[in-house]
Amino acid sequence: MQQQVTLTIDGSTIRAARGTSVLEAALGYGICIPHLCHVPGLKDTGACRLCIVENVQNGRSRVTTSCTLTVQEGMVIRTNTENIKRLRRNIAELIVAEAPNSRAVQDMAVRCGVREVRYPFRRENCIQCGRCVRYCTEMWRANALGFIGRGKDRKVDFAFGNRRDICKKCQSCVIYCPMSVTPCGGPMKPGEEKLCGKCESVELMAENAYGACVHCELGKGFQCSRHAM
Amino acid sequence: MARLEKPEDLENLRDSLREENRGFRLRIIIPNGTCCRASGSQAVIDAVKAEISKQGLEKEVFLHITGCHGFCQQEPNILFEPGNIAYCRVKPGDAKEIVEKTVGNGEVIERLLYVDPLTGERIRREGDIPFYKAQDRQLLTNNKLVDPLAIEDYIAIGGYGALAKVLEGMGPEEVIREIKASGLRGRGGAGFPTGRKWEEAREAPGDEKYVICNADEGDPGAYMDRCLLESNPHAILEGMMIGAWAAGAGMGYVYVRHEYPLAVQHTRNAVMQARALGLLGENILGSNFSFDIEIARGGGAFVCGESTALMASVEGKVGEPRPKDIHTVKEGLWNKPTVLNNVETWANVPSIILNGSDWFASKGTRGSKGTKIFALTGKIRNTGLVEVAMGTTIHDIVHNIGGASDGRAVKAIQTGGPSGGCLPASQFGLPVDFDSLYDAGSMMGSGGMVVMDEKTCMVDVAKYFLKFLQDESCGKCIPCRVGVSRMLEIVTDITEGRGTRAQIDLLKELAETIGQTALCGLGKTAPNPVLSTLRYFGDEYLAHVDEKRCPAGVCRPLIRYAIDPEKCNGCGVCVRSCPHEAISGQKKEVHAIDPEECRKCGICAAECKFDAIMVN
Repeated sequence: MQQQVTLTIDGSTIRAARGTSVLEAALGYGICIPHLCHVPGLKDTGACRLCIVENVQNGRSRVTTSCTLTVQEGMVIRTNTENIKRLRRNIAELIVAEAPNSRAVQDMAVRCGVREVRYPFRRENCIQCGRCVRYCTEMWRANALGFIGRGKDRKVDFAFGNRRDICKKCQSCVIYCPMSVTPCGGPMKPGEEKLCGKCESVELMAENAYGACVHCELGKGFQCSRHAM
Repeated sequence: MARLEKPEDLENLRDSLREENRGFRLRIIIPNGTCCRASGSQAVIDAVKAEISKQGLEKEVFLHITGCHGFCQQEPNILFEPGNIAYCRVKPGDAKEIVEKTVGNGEVIERLLYVDPLTGERIRREGDIPFYKAQDRQLLTNNKLVDPLAIEDYIAIGGYGALAKVLEGMGPEEVIREIKASGLRGRGGAGFPTGRKWEEAREAPGDEKYVICNADEGDPGAYMDRCLLESNPHAILEGMMIGAWAAGAGMGYVYVRHEYPLAVQHTRNAVMQARALGLLGENILGSNFSFDIEIARGGGAFVCGESTALMASVEGKVGEPRPKDIHTVKEGLWNKPTVLNNVETWANVPSIILNGSDWFASKGTRGSKGTKIFALTGKIRNTGLVEVAMGTTIHDIVHNIGGASDGRAVKAIQTGGPSGGCLPASQFGLPVDFDSLYDAGSMMGSGGMVVMDEKTCMVDVAKYFLKFLQDESCGKCIPCRVGVSRMLEIVTDITEGRGTRAQIDLLKELAETIGQTALCGLGKTAPNPVLSTLRYFGDEYLAHVDEKRCPAGVCRPLIRYAIDPEKCNGCGVCVRSCPHEAISGQKKEVHAIDPEECRKCGICAAECKFDAIMVN
């Protein structure tokens, strides 16, 4: 039998198999920690930083990503403190300003409490969550996609920018891309940097709906791990 | 030389080398590090060498080519031992006179001596030069005794004695106890206790363990590690051997950036020499300890100075950090327990073992022991490498050693590179140690110190570091990649006159978010330049935002050049120098700048001899 450990997440005592991540353990119990780059079954890299939680040790809390934190006996985790909510909102705001017209990203931002974006839009088509790269590399072992460049020049591309022939055409990258969820019909325009919140799925995903997951459509399109279960 | 089979062999070799060196009457020491070469030391060496053989003095004098001594402002320099006579800014043309007079007759050439800019006095002895006098040089002092390409020199000054001592009678636990007692903390910047790191790696399960020397120095303006590796690579290798013995590692790597060709060359040479003597390899000095070192060259990414990114790079992967929820002392290089220390940390180890932990702990403050090397640059008279005991005040370093430039007042000092912060002159009473600097909002970092005067705009400084960090961020996590570029966007707005108060608040909030949520240590400290300048120089930000004015006269969109009619005597220099023909005026009459045409290049201000160009 798998070894189990006991830990506390937001005051609830839960048990999880040794070696699982805090994020997976929490999601398994219906504790919804927003996340973007996490894909069930793939190795977590902690790139999007949305799944941050507070790990309380000896009375001191440290902010860390729950996807890369493995469960340990007696661990105390807080997922929804004021500090975490504020930090998560700021990160979501950064992400949505990169890709304002992706519905998945918009909904995720609304869920994290973003109502207004304070940065000029950039309209990138990629937020470099790395879901496609990891699926291609880890699941299919195709290694067709990878990151090229560093810092602001970093982008997802084929090897040497031209080796399309390595691609096995499985389309996983398309399926797993948060940008490929049906795009938002009412794109945000410069000067109107507000999230309308009109999508049906949004209300229940807003930050106050914590604990009230209804397995929404957004989650389905976005491969929310609760759909996978 | 034959392989050293036991500790006594090393002692015998040391004695015979010392005997050989006694044959020379005079030692002419010419440093030839990267910085020295940039000022032309190679030509000086060639000229002196040619002159010595011309006069047939090869048997009497010994031309010793060493690494940089640290006083980079005055290079190329020559030192004579015994006598301690130091010549500064020597030219190849001086060689003949030097060899004839100083070498031949023992005469001192007055015009080549260092001139104290305060008193105008010429100083004969190197030890009397204020720059050196105010320092406590423990590591750097060996630079002038050792030819970095000759293991014999290092052995002659007692090198590898600490290794022999450890292998002869100190168990790994005892070594760790000694390092712990010395209070040595990581010199790379974070200040983690070295002994504890070794102990954790030793206790980590597994037979295969590694030690790594982090020589991926990337802070703008810092070059302590380069200098140590270039000048005395064997000290670092010996430190690594002792660390490997303590942690139970069998393999070590020196991760050095390819942009340091001389450091790479000298380290590689040192490893080969150590191998030839049997100081690296199987059963070192007849013990059961086997250890080898390889050089891993970095491509020059700043982020590869971060421990996990560095290890990924050594493994041949993309140099990106991974989350450190499991520490590298447990799962580091190839997922094996790994001890990673900075160049300077390793260099400190042999002397601690030889002289004892009490000797090391007698220097420094309660929390930070020993000495630390700083690269002192900026608006000061004496730039170079400075080694002082921990706890020396910033004021002592800037004024007594650096000899702050006269005229303009020193406004601030930037410590710790892009991860550190700017401290104002009012904080110069602070002792330089890990904890004091951290509490003041900056950090020790690897040891870069950039002095700034009132002609430096602090918002512009923040912008410079943000630009650096934006280019050097690996791009893996959102807060660092996107957050830093957003901060740069905001600060650029402020320096170009589009800033608002709301943006300053946003800047603060963003800085705090990045500091708490970024993936690696570099990302977490990336907002420090902004946070520290906001904390100490908030009024400069407000001047940019509220009054659209740059107090230092640096941010071009916010400044205007004008001519002071009181001071202008109509010489016409500015009219001729202006590339945009924006200045007009007859000879002997007050000139005027056409603000429409002026591109604010500042050439006129630099050319005017009467200080008549005003910036506001």
